[in-house]
Amino acid sequence: MRKHENYRELVWVLAKTDFKLRYHGSVLGYVWALLKPLLMFAILNFVFSSIFNPRGSGGNEYYTLQLLTAIIMFNFFSEGTMASMSSLLNKSQLVTKIYIPRWTIIVASTLNSALVYAMNLVVIIAFFAWYQFLPSFAAVVMFILFSLSIYAIVLAFGLLMAPLYVRLRDLILVWEVVLTILFYATPIIYPLQMLPLYIQQVLLANPMAFIIHFTKESLTTGHFAESWQYSAFFAVLVAGFGLSVLAYRKFSVNVAEEI
Amino acid sequence: MYKNIAIKVHNVSKTFRIPHEKVSSLRGAFVSVFKHSTYEEFKALDDVSFEVKKGEFFGIIGRNGSGKSTLLKILAGIYHPNKGRVHIDGMISPFLELGIGFNPELSGRDNIYLNATVLGMTQKQIDEKFDDIVKFSELEKFIDQKLKNYSSGMQVRLAFSVSIHANRDILLMDEVLAVGDSNFQSKCLTEFVKYKDMGRTVIIVTHDISVIQKYCDKAILLRNGVIMKIGTAEEVSNEYVYENMSDEERRIIDEEKESADQSEKNAKAVENEESEANDANRRVAEISRIEFFDADNNEKNVFESGDDVSVKVHFELFDTSKTVDFGVRIHDENGVYLFGINTFLDKIDTVKYVEDGFFRIDFKHVPLHEGLFHVYANVIGIHPHLAYAYPFAEKMRKFRVISKNKNEGPIVLDYIWEGAGVLK
Repeated sequence: MRKHENYRELVWVLAKTDFKLRYHGSVLGYVWALLKPLLMFAILNFVFSSIFNPRGSGGNEYYTLQLLTAIIMFNFFSEGTMASMSSLLNKSQLVTKIYIPRWTIIVASTLNSALVYAMNLVVIIAFFAWYQFLPSFAAVVMFILFSLSIYAIVLAFGLLMAPLYVRLRDLILVWEVVLTILFYATPIIYPLQMLPLYIQQVLLANPMAFIIHFTKESLTTGHFAESWQYSAFFAVLVAGFGLSVLAYRKFSVNVAEEI
Repeated sequence: MYKNIAIKVHNVSKTFRIPHEKVSSLRGAFVSVFKHSTYEEFKALDDVSFEVKKGEFFGIIGRNGSGKSTLLKILAGIYHPNKGRVHIDGMISPFLELGIGFNPELSGRDNIYLNATVLGMTQKQIDEKFDDIVKFSELEKFIDQKLKNYSSGMQVRLAFSVSIHANRDILLMDEVLAVGDSNFQSKCLTEFVKYKDMGRTVIIVTHDISVIQKYCDKAILLRNGVIMKIGTAEEVSNEYVYENMSDEERRIIDEEKESADQSEKNAKAVENEESEANDANRRVAEISRIEFFDADNNEKNVFESGDDVSVKVHFELFDTSKTVDFGVRIHDENGVYLFGINTFLDKIDTVKYVEDGFFRIDFKHVPLHEGLFHVYANVIGIHPHLAYAYPFAEKMRKFRVISKNKNEGPIVLDYIWEGAGVLK
């Protein structure tokens, strides 16, 4: 019914503004953004390389690289979901005082997280270079595909949850707790192989666990999932995304009245 | 199909649910599953239909709570109607608030880009108009400073400049925007008149009848979510005047009641304190009540400009040995003395009035323009040698005049533009 002909520019300007505000347009600002995942990595790497050493039980010599990659990927997921969930409420003026399609606000917030993730990749590349380790071409392609998958999950989550969060303001508290649980339910600090086989299978039902486990494996040891596993994963992803779009259509209609 | 229709609103209804207990948390949502949640439905708009032609200056008028802002938000696409359709041909610029998306941490330049993009401009358009926007806002020197360092006046100037440069086919304007600084208000309206001259459609929401009279071609009158009248600006503002008269009547009566209660209380307090000092014998007269009547002898407090107004004053005389006269004065709301007359000046015999205990004066075709007027009724004594009037008693009551006249100033004169042709 209503046309707003510059969606792409709108999304881009909103994302750019968020980015500028977050890092004040400075290099130092970006360092702060990196600090959180890097500090976490440094601590966990110290704890699990020196104090509890999982290398003896199914771990391998690339633990450091795996841990770093996993933490940065999970950080993308957690920051992205938190930001996209609260995007509509944080930008309530754009919802209640003017009509722009609400999804542009959600997409802008996910783009911002993606931008930070893209910058964090530089750190991953630097570490791989430091260790003089070159992953296979297929592994890099899979890594890119999985990165895009995380983005799709973040976006789907935002489309579903941002209109709901406007109504139910404690959702963000619940989600923080869930994120902590997910952090440990995902093979980030430990290799999946440490666990009994049936638990491994249960954990892999979690898309983030699937993504992070097989990214770690394929990048360092060249071990890939079965092709049916990949197909199932992407089928679930597409279906989930479709459902979230439907939910967005239903819940975003009256969002201006709820804020 | 409708080539010259800019906006077509078709049977639009909007209902808000107002829950008795608002559930705004997940915990609350869980709890309320087991409780029967109750809510009230508030029908903000009920089956509203109208059309706005291209190039029209269209007014939506109504009192607070009539649904006019809800309608504006539906037109702007912010609210979604429960029922009905809105068809809009063209791009809309809503003027519901200035500076949407402005962020104090960003520079003036960034804020221009942000705000203009939100208003629907493309980067290319902004690049082209950027210099004009800055020039209009007169902020050339400060454009790369952060917005938080601007004064609030500078922020408004910048926001307004962006808004008027983001001009589209259809403009929606909320009067709230024009409230406050009258200089700014007239600047806004001048811009909108310019839009109209460019053949653009302007829709303005207001409760101010003069806006409708001055600018609009057509208008609708909303009351409790229902269209009471669609028509020319003239017709709709007349209807609005009548609607206001009855509402105002009720308000004045309520006010009177309140102030009467209040003064009764005060009087009691005074009596208790000063009952001895207050010597009833020294009081000559007291005015108990003032009433206003229209030409049909109905008691009223709100009149239309040009109506007949009768003032009836009831009094009590305690000292019949004194010669008394009666007078009436009319002041405007600010206390400016407009008119005064008494029985002494007119050489009226007051014997009948003294017997009846009231006097009545009929004003024909009261030429007052709109506003609240204070009527003072007096019982006066006249010094026999100096012809000097001193009051024995005085009481005031207000009445309101509502006017359809377009003139300015406190009174309405009968006039004609000599030699002028027919109406435009």
